[in-house]
Amino acid sequence: MPRALVGPWLLWGVLAAVAAALSLQDVLSSLSAASAEVDRALVLYSLAPRIAVALLAGAALGLSGALSQAALDNPLAEPATLGVFAGAQLALGVAAILAPAMGALGREAAAFAGGAGAATLVLALAWRRQLDPVTVALCGMVVAMVASSLSAALILSRGDYLFALLIWGGGSLTQEGWRASAAIAAVLGFGIVWALLLARPLGALAAGEIGARSLGVPTPVIRIAALAIGVLLAATVAAEVGLIAFVGLAAPAFARLSGARSGRILAVSPVIGAILLWLADSIVRRLGEGDAIPTGAATAILGAPLLLWLLPRLVLADRPTAPERRPRRDPARMLAVLAALAAGSIAAALWVGADAHGWRISSVAEFAELLPFRGPRVAAAAAAGAMFAAAGVILQRLTANPLASPEVLGVGAGAGVGLAAVLLGFGAVSWPLQMAGAGAGALAALAVMLAVAGRGRLGPERMLLAGAGIAALCLAGLNAVVATGSPSAFALLAWITGATDALGPDQAIAAVVTAAALAAPAAATLRWLHVLPLGTATARAVGVRIGAARLALTTIAALLTGAAAMIAGPLSFVGLVAPHAVRAAGLAGAGPHLLGSALAGAALMTIADLLARTVIFPYQLPLGLFASLIGGGYLLLALRRR
Amino acid sequence: MRLAAIDWAMLETTLALGVAPVAAAELVLFRTAAVEPVVPRSTADLGLRGSISYEQLLDTRPDLILISPWYENRARLLSRIAPVANYSIYEPGRRPYEAAIAATRDLGRRIDRSAEAERAVAQADAELASARTRLARSAGRPVLIMNLADSRHFRVFGADSMFGDVAERLGLTIAWSAPTRFGAFPAVGVEALAAMTEAIVVNVGPSPPSALAAVRESPLWRAMPPVASGRFVGLPAVNPYGALPAAQRFARLLADGLEALAVG
Repeated sequence: MPRALVGPWLLWGVLAAVAAALSLQDVLSSLSAASAEVDRALVLYSLAPRIAVALLAGAALGLSGALSQAALDNPLAEPATLGVFAGAQLALGVAAILAPAMGALGREAAAFAGGAGAATLVLALAWRRQLDPVTVALCGMVVAMVASSLSAALILSRGDYLFALLIWGGGSLTQEGWRASAAIAAVLGFGIVWALLLARPLGALAAGEIGARSLGVPTPVIRIAALAIGVLLAATVAAEVGLIAFVGLAAPAFARLSGARSGRILAVSPVIGAILLWLADSIVRRLGEGDAIPTGAATAILGAPLLLWLLPRLVLADRPTAPERRPRRDPARMLAVLAALAAGSIAAALWVGADAHGWRISSVAEFAELLPFRGPRVAAAAAAGAMFAAAGVILQRLTANPLASPEVLGVGAGAGVGLAAVLLGFGAVSWPLQMAGAGAGALAALAVMLAVAGRGRLGPERMLLAGAGIAALCLAGLNAVVATGSPSAFALLAWITGATDALGPDQAIAAVVTAAALAAPAAATLRWLHVLPLGTATARAVGVRIGAARLALTTIAALLTGAAAMIAGPLSFVGLVAPHAVRAAGLAGAGPHLLGSALAGAALMTIADLLARTVIFPYQLPLGLFASLIGGGYLLLALRRR
Repeated sequence: MRLAAIDWAMLETTLALGVAPVAAAELVLFRTAAVEPVVPRSTADLGLRGSISYEQLLDTRPDLILISPWYENRARLLSRIAPVANYSIYEPGRRPYEAAIAATRDLGRRIDRSAEAERAVAQADAELASARTRLARSAGRPVLIMNLADSRHFRVFGADSMFGDVAERLGLTIAWSAPTRFGAFPAVGVEALAAMTEAIVVNVGPSPPSALAAVRESPLWRAMPPVASGRFVGLPAVNPYGALPAAQRFARLLADGLEALAVG
């Protein structure tokens, strides 16, 4: 072995030794001379299986990540980015409601069905784009966000009964016997056998399609077999212990960093995954009693710096985006159509309701009576939609990327982290303070994103990947907070789904005023918005101070996102859909784009509010859930056509 | 008087006073998670407690809307429909059973049903007294009252919860002494039972059947002193944030469960 490669393996040896020392100390301190029967039972059935499950789950996730990455030729593929965990969570929730008596085997089957279903959906959507890494990552993110949104709505609708699903989201390795370890070990053994069989074909795939064809097995069969094993491994871990984020991403990445190549990555990743999770869990056990810090949350936090470090170094072919052929329409006429659409949606949201017999249009007397209740919701929803859309326009023009948006770039999820910090730090606080926290979180997320991806003018693809990574991280962090089950956790969960219930006149006025207050500076930036997409050289040539312009636009976009996310939650996708659709409809100039998108965003969000209020009357669905279903569907279509 | 109950404890209190509310929240879940008292079919469902339908509420034309401090940020909007009465049963430093009695009497006075209120209080006191007599043999025993979330985690109810308060009134002591939040401590692991050599473990439903199966089958659960010596009682679902009816239901079910334990 060359000298240069000894160092990394030494490091892994040391890390393993640290984990071993910590575990050994735990075992020995429990087994002192005076230890009773109970202490021995605790070591034998709680501590020892926990260590075993950390090792096995880490290895399974490492192998799962390595198989997925090899199969898709995508260094960011892993169970989480393929939607496996979110799909498994949703399936477990649905199964817990429909078949509460289901045993462990049923849970595993449900988790596998959900995880495999989500991964299949992601791959089917990305198929037409030849499963290129960015499309897979984006489809995965959208599927995961919509599934998470549905799970959150499910938990909220069943109250305490789905408390288990909250704990699951935090990824707790606590054990009460050897069953989970045995189940994971069995599947891991199965996976290792298949990995041995697939190692050579996968290596040939990496070398090129021609080399692979000489093996006599069709390449899609090899890829699908490797992915199926990867999903099975991840879904088993998900069913047995819960959501353990980023081990599947980190293990193969570290394997490559340590010098492993092609086939060796498959062999090394499980070892590294096992060491990572073992070490993380040993540290977490030390920091808090019981499940004070869920292990899955800890790995997510460890994953953050890795992802940020990894992104700028990714070798991605930044393919030139094909010049779009856009119909040029008369902006004034298009804007009139959009204004009519927005007005129509608002009118419908105000007049249409539901009762026990179905949908109905209110009479004049009823309308007057209902206005104090519908009015604030509709006003707040319209303002939020317009703000998301305006933020989307700014980000799409700032990054010259037609798929950039507050949701995709992780700004909305960042707002959630800001809100969580305020709720945890100060308890139940006033609406303006919550809004300030959300705005600060959005700003921080956007700043990190631009710092990581914007250095040296990176291509749009990498920016989207950075955003997807930040969004996934923030959501994992939020999951961990929610897993504590405290009152602020339920407030946060309601926020993630975009529940509008507590919106009164005050909040509606605040939202409309914020939207209006931010509209003025946004209008003042129209020249920048017009020039920046043309490239820095052009922008400089016409006298724009790029740095100042970027800073101002970033700040406005973050504030718009923070304010809008307070109303509709972080996952609505309206900030992506409205600007994208309006641009596709032919409004290319900065001014018409901004105005038209704001109108379209307002229309989308009010329609979502109408549906949320009426579809299963009298039970109401969260606004954000509907917006994410509408927006997610549109985004998936757009990604396919891209 | 047409009453609408947003808060479940006040829904129970209303029914205890012999009044069928015109509307109440989340009845689908209430019927499985709180069970008692039976809510008449005529009561309109307002949807999720966290997201009630103001339009449905408006449609039922209530004269008075009953909430708890949890719903305070909606009080202004609700007061556009009818006067709002805010009753707090769960607050730091106040024993929930006493607070539930006070709320029952307050509401009784407010809707001119003081006689019914006194009857409801007397009935609850009698039910607790009878349960206390049945549990005379267990007097002073520590109980750990929990709710299993899955096979590895449970919530623990402290002395400041309704369950803890009622158990103490029945002559038992509360095994969980660490601080709680709103009466319950979320997500405790099985290891917590290792030190409770004397305690009787009482699980209050609803719990997933797979979690209860784990308690019977998993080696760790079976090694814990209370479970090892057969001191584990599984009760059906009771509303942990209820009023007098929930307290009565808990007392009755607890006495049934502990008696069965003593016999078996």
